[in-house]
Amino acid sequence: MSEFRIASAMIDVRDVSCPITWVRTRIALEKVGLGELVVVLLQEGEPLRNVPASAREDGHRVVSLQPLEDEGPGTWEVVLEKGAPPPALP
Amino acid sequence: MDLSRKSALVIGAGGLGGPALLTLAAGGVGRLVVIDDDVVESSNLNRQPLFGEADLGQPKAAVAAARLRALHPALQVTPLARRFDAGEALALAADVDVLVDGSDNFATKFLASDAALQAGKPLVHGGVLRTSLQVLSVVPGFSGCVRCLFEAPPPPGQVPSCAEAGIVGALSGFAGGLMGAEALRLLAGERGAYTGRLFVFEARTGRGRLVLVRRRPGCPACAGTQPLESTRPPGPADCASSPGGPTP
Amino acid sequence: MPVTPSAPSTTPRDQLDGPRIARWARQLLVPGFGAAGQERLLAARIRVVGAGGVATPALVALAQAGAGTLWLDDPEPVGPEDLLGWLYTPADVGRPRAAVAVAALAGLSRFIKVAPYPAGGAPSATLICVASAALALEAAEVARRGKIPHVVLELDGEAGQLVSVPPGAPCFACGRFTAAGERPPVAASLALASLAAQELLRLVVEPEVKEGRRFDVVRGVPGVRATQRLPGCVCGQTGTTSEAPAGP
Repeated sequence: MSEFRIASAMIDVRDVSCPITWVRTRIALEKVGLGELVVVLLQEGEPLRNVPASAREDGHRVVSLQPLEDEGPGTWEVVLEKGAPPPALP
Repeated sequence: MDLSRKSALVIGAGGLGGPALLTLAAGGVGRLVVIDDDVVESSNLNRQPLFGEADLGQPKAAVAAARLRALHPALQVTPLARRFDAGEALALAADVDVLVDGSDNFATKFLASDAALQAGKPLVHGGVLRTSLQVLSVVPGFSGCVRCLFEAPPPPGQVPSCAEAGIVGALSGFAGGLMGAEALRLLAGERGAYTGRLFVFEARTGRGRLVLVRRRPGCPACAGTQPLESTRPPGPADCASSPGGPTP
Repeated sequence: MPVTPSAPSTTPRDQLDGPRIARWARQLLVPGFGAAGQERLLAARIRVVGAGGVATPALVALAQAGAGTLWLDDPEPVGPEDLLGWLYTPADVGRPRAAVAVAALAGLSRFIKVAPYPAGGAPSATLICVASAALALEAAEVARRGKIPHVVLELDGEAGQLVSVPPGAPCFACGRFTAAGERPPVAASLALASLAAQELLRLVVEPEVKEGRRFDVVRGVPGVRATQRLPGCVCGQTGTTSEAPAGP
């Protein structure tokens, strides 16, 4: 990352599966302000495919995605920036 | 109108199938067949009215049948705790007067429509996703079918994401209730409110609209050349709650 | 959807822990719901006036969605017509509706409290589903004076009509149609009871909703329109708290 920013929240969703992974991430994003960062620790595979994709779909930005082997095999760190939700259907 | 000699097959006993079954029973239908291969999980209990906390881990079809019998002792209910699949779809459709599709995946929705057409039975199709619902009645030889509307199931890579799995029980209850009431109309020999007309409702705006669904020229299901396809996913489901479709 | 960076913070009496997130996962994904909405719902005290058979889909939906406190206000015993709903069995006929429904709903969720309406209870929202128009008008007036959101389901015509009244919106007496005086079949009204729960959930979960609206069903299709205040109605005046108490 070019800039150093402090995350407002960190959650670990390695012990749950879809859709709880994304539900917990969504709740964490809901509780921080616009533009603030949430760090998500998740397991590679399905969560790594679904959580960032769902975040983008809900209007958030995926700041970074990187493996974090220190935390255990298959662990990834995803940094999300809270964005504006997409407009509701007419 | 006495419907005690009429019967219905309800595919799925969950958020859509449950309210549809309860409505059909309230309307006096004599025999219900319910097919569902799932067991009751905690995440079902925000919306599936036939199940309570004491039923966790139990097969949905059996629990649904027991609950319906308790509420309506005169009702004949046949629970089938297995997947609605190509091998017996036609036989199951031929055995009833109407099909109600409350399933949670595209493959089953297409198979239900294809089997209903082949058996010459009317079908009430429905779905609910986040804050919108849709209901369509397919009457063989008269209206367009699910395949006329959507052509084909989406490719496996394009399944909805977890973010799209949101659903509130009150809205799926509304959808399932409309489906049940529609099936009662069809059983009574009336014209369905959604025959050849897809009803789409958005809960936040409260607005509903009807979209005409005509028979699509070249639709293989309407032409009788569509083979019945298996509903088994090719591999293990990627996402536990969203095995490839709108998930009531 | 407007962005509210500093949404009014609720003080959750019930934190969303693991088991609660698992139970309500699917609705936590719905736009407009989310954790803030779920916490508002958990903190809500909902008075349900009328627990007859037609009200049961709404009772089940509210209990399953996690309405924190449900108060059932109904002095009547279970009658034969109530058996067409979702909760009452033939063995319940003659027993008090409120007591039977409390027991049945308690089995749906350990995360909520369900009780008969306590004397002097201060609800934060009201759902009204009574057969008598006079009782419905009276309960709606109590809710209006209490400045709490309420939804009224009136059984009439083809399936019924539904009026949503957020605080400050035109009152139920302004919003309702003049009743045609015809009772629809129960099976036709069950879907509308689910929609009534959906409307009440919306008002509780999204307190920023200000517009009142009415639904009615024509040929199976629910239509919506904004409610209009009748000229001179007391609900348009400010400072209404000093009025005489409602009802007889």
